[in-house]
Amino acid sequence: MSSLKRASTAPPAPKPPVHFAPALVIADNAALTGTNLISIGLHTIIHPRAKLNSTYGPITIGSNCIISERSQIGFQNPPSNSHSEGVFIENGVVIETGAIVEARKVGEGSVVEVNARIGKGAILGKHCKVGALCEVQAGEIIGDFTVLYADGMRRVDRAGIEDLKLKMVGRQTEILRKLIPSNPTKFQ
Amino acid sequence: MSRKPAKGEYIETDTGNKVSRRSQIIGTTNIILGGKTVIQAEVIIRGDLLRTYPSSNPNEKQGTPVAVAIGRYCFFSRGCELRPPGKLYKGSFSHYPLKIADHVFVGPGSIIEAALIGSHVNIGSNVVVGKFAIIKDFVKILDGTVVPANMVIPSFSIVAGRPAQIVGEIAEGEIEGFDLREAYRAVGNS
Repeated sequence: MSSLKRASTAPPAPKPPVHFAPALVIADNAALTGTNLISIGLHTIIHPRAKLNSTYGPITIGSNCIISERSQIGFQNPPSNSHSEGVFIENGVVIETGAIVEARKVGEGSVVEVNARIGKGAILGKHCKVGALCEVQAGEIIGDFTVLYADGMRRVDRAGIEDLKLKMVGRQTEILRKLIPSNPTKFQ
Repeated sequence: MSRKPAKGEYIETDTGNKVSRRSQIIGTTNIILGGKTVIQAEVIIRGDLLRTYPSSNPNEKQGTPVAVAIGRYCFFSRGCELRPPGKLYKGSFSHYPLKIADHVFVGPGSIIEAALIGSHVNIGSNVVVGKFAIIKDFVKILDGTVVPANMVIPSFSIVAGRPAQIVGEIAEGEIEGFDLREAYRAVGNS
């Protein structure tokens, strides 16, 4: 309660430098904080209440990504020197509700499900899936097509439908663009 | 709490819903509350994720779109989230309405993307209910459960685990415990 009180009396934090591609959707209620550059690609959707924190490193998000509400992108506390490169999210990545992503890289077409957690400096390959409540440790390297599920179980899924999945994410962003009012000027 | 909010935390509507001022409800016009429902602080309800795929039933009224429908005496604890599920159907993506019946309790921090939740369902804390899950009447979901997408949970079952499995059955005598009228009365501004 006391922390809330303090926040209300403090002057508004300075906006982080941003680089927005055209035709992205960023909801009014999204929170962008920090001092490093946040760049977001074409057709990416940032849901309301998503939190992007660039205090400890830059954040780069590719095109056609979906960042859901309550997810936290960027380092949550100071990193050690070995992983200070920031967070890089490739194209077509879906970050679901409440996920915490501190990864150095999240590969193309990956899905991070509800309340999953990716530790600092971890590298997630292309077309991976991190199941609900699953955790990737700091510095871990996960190969392409890996699926993390249940209580730390892993398997490789080469169903060969990556292109279709990417297409589906594309369709989803198209629809979300109609549903979520965008206000990029607020953050620029 | 050190500070007493000037107006009281809850807004009470005509139908007796108690909605926290600190809840984060998006798309209010697309949400139906049946009455006597409690929504605590930091609850997110995504009413903006509407159905975009045209309904196959032409008799259905086109007037007001509904994203989230909630019955009577439901209780949504602090920090939980209700989100209509979405899927690709016949080549186009659409969200579909999330329907919740009466006397449904959702614990703190749980995220619900179900298609349908029946009456007298008790969902614990930090539960994840996957997309298009269907939960029938009188179900208890224990804390930390992950209900996978498209799972159908039959009536009178107790569910736990990641992914969720049926671990028990609700006995005849336990049904009384699902009534949320007491919980509703306990919440208020006084």
